[in-house]
Amino acid sequence: MANDAAINGYSEEGKYITLISSDGFEYVVLREATEISPTIKSMLRNPFSESRTGRCDFPEIRSVVLEKVVEYFHYWYKNRDKDDVPDMNIPVEICLELLMAADYLGLDAKPTQPAIRD
Amino acid sequence: MSRQNRANGRRIMGPQSALTDFLASHNISALQIRNEAEQRRRAAAQDSQDNEDDQENEEANLGGDASITLDTSATVETVAESPARTLRTRRGAQAEAQRKKEQQVIEKIKASKKFKKRKRGPNENSDDEDEIIQALARERAAPLPGQMENCTQCGKRFTVTAYSRNGPDGGLLCTPCGKELDKDNIAPKKKPKRASGGAVGRRRQVQSKILDGTYSLGGKSLMTLCIETLAKNIDLAEDLGDLPTSVIDKIARKLSKHRLMDSRTLSLFLQPTAEEVYIYDASKLNADDFNRIFQSVPCLKKLKVRNGIHFKDEVVDYLISRNLELTDLYLSGSNLISEAKWIELIEKKGHVLKSLRVYWTDKHFTDKVAGRIRDVCKSLERVKVCHNQHLTQVGVVDLASVKSLRHLSLDMREPVRPDMYIEALDGRGAYLQTLSLTRVPELDNSVLDAIHHKCRSLKKLRITDSEVATDAGFVRLFKDWENPGLTFLDLQKCRQLESHRPRENPDKIGLCSNGFRALMAHSGKTLKYLNVHGCRHIEASAFEDVFSAEKVYEEITKMEISFCEEVTDFVVGSIFRSCPNLRELNVFGCMKVKDVRVPRGKILVGVPNARGMVIDGDDDA
Repeated sequence: MANDAAINGYSEEGKYITLISSDGFEYVVLREATEISPTIKSMLRNPFSESRTGRCDFPEIRSVVLEKVVEYFHYWYKNRDKDDVPDMNIPVEICLELLMAADYLGLDAKPTQPAIRD
Repeated sequence: MSRQNRANGRRIMGPQSALTDFLASHNISALQIRNEAEQRRRAAAQDSQDNEDDQENEEANLGGDASITLDTSATVETVAESPARTLRTRRGAQAEAQRKKEQQVIEKIKASKKFKKRKRGPNENSDDEDEIIQALARERAAPLPGQMENCTQCGKRFTVTAYSRNGPDGGLLCTPCGKELDKDNIAPKKKPKRASGGAVGRRRQVQSKILDGTYSLGGKSLMTLCIETLAKNIDLAEDLGDLPTSVIDKIARKLSKHRLMDSRTLSLFLQPTAEEVYIYDASKLNADDFNRIFQSVPCLKKLKVRNGIHFKDEVVDYLISRNLELTDLYLSGSNLISEAKWIELIEKKGHVLKSLRVYWTDKHFTDKVAGRIRDVCKSLERVKVCHNQHLTQVGVVDLASVKSLRHLSLDMREPVRPDMYIEALDGRGAYLQTLSLTRVPELDNSVLDAIHHKCRSLKKLRITDSEVATDAGFVRLFKDWENPGLTFLDLQKCRQLESHRPRENPDKIGLCSNGFRALMAHSGKTLKYLNVHGCRHIEASAFEDVFSAEKVYEEITKMEISFCEEVTDFVVGSIFRSCPNLRELNVFGCMKVKDVRVPRGKILVGVPNARGMVIDGDDDA
């Protein structure tokens, strides 16, 4: 994936990207871990400002929810080749909001498939 | 007491017996017992009344009794008042010996595992060692299995067994009293259920997922996690908010899977702006709930109701009365809709209907209804009727002659003559994209020929359980067929049924080697799903030809070749080589498959070996 970055000419952003929530919190995440989300992936691939700065704004997502999303990115990245992974804990009170964020970020079916093809 | 004394009073002369040796090794001396017995006898004779009741003595008494019990192994009668106690005060030396002995017993009890356990045990809050020692001493004094004892509750005499229960205040209970006691404490005896299955449970879970086809490496998707959490806490949800339809559908599926769809949770899915309502398990909904769907979703276009038992005449009446234009209707298990209501529904709402799927609505969906569908439903594209007892071949022809039909699926209970299928195909054959004929034992080569001649746009074809179609028929069907390649083909159990000589198939009945070669030559490049389950007469050479090294079938993702006897390890390996995108291969009952190397990420189901039914590939091939 780092090679992809080099080919597309934005290798200077490096391994990490920044996700910004609606209330201004910033989360620095491993670029590879966010590849699971087709939405973020395309934000970073295409010639949008995000691909130059490595900063993605999410004005619809609250920090509580985005934090959980970031936690999921790491959870997925850590377990991407493992069998029988324990479920991540989802707090009930932000469940619906998180669901909406997951839909927005395209985190639905078969998370490992795109990674294998890459 | 008297019997004991008699036994002990008898003098045994001669060399030491093995028993004496044994008793001596357990710190029990025959001499001492004899002395004690004599003392007691004397004491009884003197009949002196001197009661001293200190606790230590009590313990000693019990301990002493225990050892006596062991010594004599005779029936024990409770010693109501031990004369030894009275003696002890008189004879200091004897008392000293006795005290030593009881001290020994206490030490023994203290050293025993039971004592340590009790001391540590959560139920025993009291640290009072004496109490525990007493209790244990009492236990030791209890009669052994096989002896007789009086029940402490009812006083009846009974034989002690290993299963005799202890009474609430010590002592043993007879069987009926023990059972009574059991009845009283049933609740605390229940063990708390284990939360997780442990290693075995997890492994089982993984295998179950593989068989379900929902298995994948790595963690679950965030959406799945959220939906599962939501389903677990659905009673807290008041409104699902502004979620997209696909997500709502996923939630609905999850809830139905857990049988949580009821009047209350149904409200979550009835959004006024929705056009689709899919209920995957409506068994808990009643007629009012169905009416509520039509009230609160005014733009309803697609309705799916599985297990909709209460979707009955009054619901249909209400549906007819509303200004709804349903395009898709899927009903499963709605047995209570009468024939007249079906006809009324078709007449009033049929003209906009695009898709009608009816499962398990046994008797009232009849040929008459099919006839009305043919006359009224001018835009109907998809018809599926499954498990219906009153639809006959007449109805089939009616359904197939709907002018706009593109998808026809039938799973009939009534037999259908092959010429009826031909007649059905005559009309719409060229436009059909789906032709699914499940369980059609009578279907013969003439129908296959009709498909060959008529069908030009088929994508999905299913013909199962044909007992008369032959290999030659299948060859004719696929050879030079002008229909473009199929994406879905299911020819399972098209084979000869002959129990006397099952391996001989002189007439080449069913899908055999040449038919298989022909179908792969025709559709191999486009097929995504192939099922030749139970086509036993496809030879190994046919599989080897079809999946030879130079042939590649990019599209196939799932294949079912169970009960094809000739499939070997080599064939399975070749299939994995020729189908790079194959995800799952079923080989139940292929007894020649023994030890295959499965590429990573692929799933082989049904291997007859001790590892279980499933191999999930771990080779990086």
